[in-house]
Amino acid sequence: MSNLLVNTRDQQFILFEQLGIEKLFESEEFKDFSKDDLLMIMNEAEKLAVNVIAPTFKEGDEEGCHLKDGIVSTPKCYREPYKKFCEGGWINPMDSTDVGGQGIPAAVGFSNMELFGAANYAFMMYPGLTHGAANLIHTYGTDAQKEKYMTKLFAGEWAGTMCLTEPGAGSDVGSLRTTAKRLPDGKFLITGTKCFISAGDHDLTPNIIHPVLARIEGDPAGTKGISIFIVPKFTVNDDGSVGKRNDVNCGGIEHKMGIKGNATATLNFGEDGKCIGELLGEERAGIKIMFQMMNEARLGTGLQGLCTASAAYEHALAYAKERVQSAPVWEMKNPDAKAVTIINHPDVRKKLLWMKSHIEGLRSLLYFSAFCMDMSRVSKTEVEKAKWEGYLDLMTPVVKAYTTDKGLLICSLGMDVYGGYGYCQEYPAEQYMRDEKIATIYEGTNGIQSLDLVGRKLGQKKGANVMNLAALIQGNYTKLKTNPDLAKVASSLEEACNAWIELTMFFAQAGKSGDFLLPVLNACKYLELFGDVIIGHFLLDGAGVAFAKLEAIYDAQGATTLGKKKGLQRSDSDAAFYSGRIASAKYFANEILTTVKARCEAIKAGDKSPLEIVDEAFTC
Amino acid sequence: MNIIACVKQVPDTEAQIKVKADGSGIEDGQIKWVMNPYDEFGVEEALKLKEKNGGDVTVVCLGPARAMETIRTALAMGADKGIHICDPAFDNADAFVVGNALAAAIKTLPHDIIFCGQRAIDDDAGQVGSMIAEALNLPQLTLVTKVDFAGTSVKVIRPIEGAQLLIETSLPCVVTAQKGLNEPRYASLPGIMKAKKKPVDVKNASALGIATEAKAKVAKTIPPPARPPGKIICGDDPALKAAEVARLLREEAKAI
Ligand SMILES: Cc1cc2nc3c(=O)[nH]c(=O)nc-3n(C[C@H](O)[C@H](O)[C@H](O)COP(=O)(O)OP(=O)(O)OC[C@H]3O[C@@H](n4cnc5c(N)ncnc54)[C@H](O)[C@@H]3O)c2cc1C
Repeated sequence: MSNLLVNTRDQQFILFEQLGIEKLFESEEFKDFSKDDLLMIMNEAEKLAVNVIAPTFKEGDEEGCHLKDGIVSTPKCYREPYKKFCEGGWINPMDSTDVGGQGIPAAVGFSNMELFGAANYAFMMYPGLTHGAANLIHTYGTDAQKEKYMTKLFAGEWAGTMCLTEPGAGSDVGSLRTTAKRLPDGKFLITGTKCFISAGDHDLTPNIIHPVLARIEGDPAGTKGISIFIVPKFTVNDDGSVGKRNDVNCGGIEHKMGIKGNATATLNFGEDGKCIGELLGEERAGIKIMFQMMNEARLGTGLQGLCTASAAYEHALAYAKERVQSAPVWEMKNPDAKAVTIINHPDVRKKLLWMKSHIEGLRSLLYFSAFCMDMSRVSKTEVEKAKWEGYLDLMTPVVKAYTTDKGLLICSLGMDVYGGYGYCQEYPAEQYMRDEKIATIYEGTNGIQSLDLVGRKLGQKKGANVMNLAALIQGNYTKLKTNPDLAKVASSLEEACNAWIELTMFFAQAGKSGDFLLPVLNACKYLELFGDVIIGHFLLDGAGVAFAKLEAIYDAQGATTLGKKKGLQRSDSDAAFYSGRIASAKYFANEILTTVKARCEAIKAGDKSPLEIVDEAFTC
Repeated sequence: MNIIACVKQVPDTEAQIKVKADGSGIEDGQIKWVMNPYDEFGVEEALKLKEKNGGDVTVVCLGPARAMETIRTALAMGADKGIHICDPAFDNADAFVVGNALAAAIKTLPHDIIFCGQRAIDDDAGQVGSMIAEALNLPQLTLVTKVDFAGTSVKVIRPIEGAQLLIETSLPCVVTAQKGLNEPRYASLPGIMKAKKKPVDVKNASALGIATEAKAKVAKTIPPPARPPGKIICGDDPALKAAEVARLLREEAKAI
């Protein structure tokens, strides 16, 4: 039976059978773990997600957040689960034991977060942001700051945020206007307004610690002049006791489409000229420092894309197996034909397989990204380490943007599977779609992510990261081409990969010859192609693993005929799973990878209509 | 205080159970296994007693190798050590054999109070707690929803039709847990990691010195008849929906 959130069998497949994370146990860093431990952790995470967090999904959406008399209240049903979540140690399982973590592999940590987020992402943002803020102080804070703020944050006693956006500074963070004025004691007076701050004010914890980007008076304009400050809601005395209320006030909360259980606040710093902040790290290093949290949040937003889509899919699948409507198409001439469950209709099946294959590919992409962190930690040589870090650097904008774009489409298809019922609030399909949409916008819009990919990431280390990734994909299809059952789809991956590399070179050339507008104009399309190729790679890689396992099951059960094999796929849950994995890969290769080359050619053809059309001509 | 909690590994309530073609039991290869939910209440109560009065919680489990996972879960929740009775000789054990085996293991330990679930959700027999009490010649308090420990005795509540009984007995005793006793905690992450280092003693039948001959055997496992698909009645108006349910019950199901 499905938990209606995430297919835990697929999680285990990716971690243990595809990525083979057991190899981490050979390292000093992970030597205390066994597969059984990780399975137990995953099991407990599932229990918590299903029994404690998921019940808050609908209620939290309906109740939402409220601002009354200057106090922001969160949905009442969040309180107990938040307490249980923190007490269980789930805020920072991946961190080391000296900061209260358990040092579990990031790949497993991601699988836990996928479950929690699928249960209720709006809820999960509170501990998620808290972790990000704590981690910033962990990396850049002084010992005193760690003692004052970090420990309580990691334990979930206090909560954290990230304060970048201002009314006049969204995509362009460099134009921010919040200022910091030096005080004689080394602290700073912060003045300015931040908007759209997730978990910006709430009643889940007695104190909230804001990392705030601001410019110290006299520092240069643009991103180079930005510093970062720790601004607590209640000041903290040097002995750790909580002092008086700081001059940070919630000016309002947004009424928004989704993630309604998460308070999106406008924060006014220093309305009375008394907002105290402490510098975090060095002066004018604010953007570099905040990037640690932003990178974490980008992967987190990618996870949102995946987990919300996963829950939408699991629900749609269950519905498709129950809803009876229309006689099957092959009975169309039979007036007495009985209506069947909608999963029997070809179009519904195709939608479900589109969703399934994308989710599996995205899940592999996300877990692989986390696995890169694990592998870079255990790497023995600098070259090795650089390779793993390079994959992650390169893929971060793809994880953020591709996963959320596809995630939203998955939610939309999920709603289509429900038909009219999906549009109505009686079923969760519409909430998944509402909750998912924000993921394409915040944490740097997907447009901005694409520019980051095309403008910065491709050229990093003179293109070495791209070449390493290409080599990974090449190794995969070269191997699969020797398997007669997968050779055709492996060739599709080869063609798609080559087309993507050529387009990448074409962009590099365009950049060199001064025609940088073409890559900029097509950055989103390029990111999508990149995503298609990379998840195509993971799906086919998974199919190779599944193929061998399935053959072994057939052998063991003496299934030599097609009929017997089909029978096993129906009766044996492992055979069902592996054959489903192969079907996902074949479908994705045939449906998506085969179009990559043509789409690359279309970009190279160099249409510039969006640039050539004058503003006035947009009127229709 | 020496507290014992007996746990059994059972198929997850959500697991899809397939009966073996020859009716000799269920296919157990691909199902998910969990701690019997009533035993979870027992473990939770044991941990609460320990937290309040000090002492030590030992989990005792009879089951195949995979049942170690259930012992580990109890240890991750906070129990201190485990005993795993594991022997193929117990493959066809009935409640009599299981009760005696658990009792034999418990006898070797100091014990003030022994918790069991009131029954296991797989075979629903509800006998093991009583068997242990008989084998150890201890008082048994069954179907308990509240436990108050008072030094050398214990007072418990057992709900009955329209009332509840307050029952008191001296220690040691056996208590079988009913739903409502408490809300079992989730294993915390630090708890899971700590559980790895807690000792589990594995014992076989000969170490316990007991007979493994079952007195009763399950002759056949018969699957329930396939259920026809359900019907979902949609709409906002509860009155209309209720009327539709009533109509279907009368006209289609002919139940009223
Ligand atoms: C619910 C919610 C929660 C949020 N949480 C946080 C938070 O916790 N902390 C925080 O700091 N911020 C947060 N944000 C802010 C969010 O990150 C910004 O809204 C986002 O970065 C976009 O900024 P903007 O809204 O000002 O849009 P704009 O920057 O005005 O962008 C509008 C459009 O123009 C495009 N655009 C802008 N510049 C360029 C360019 N150079 N090239 C191409 N296209 C461009 C954008 O892609 C977008 O399509 C949140 C926002 C929301 C709605």
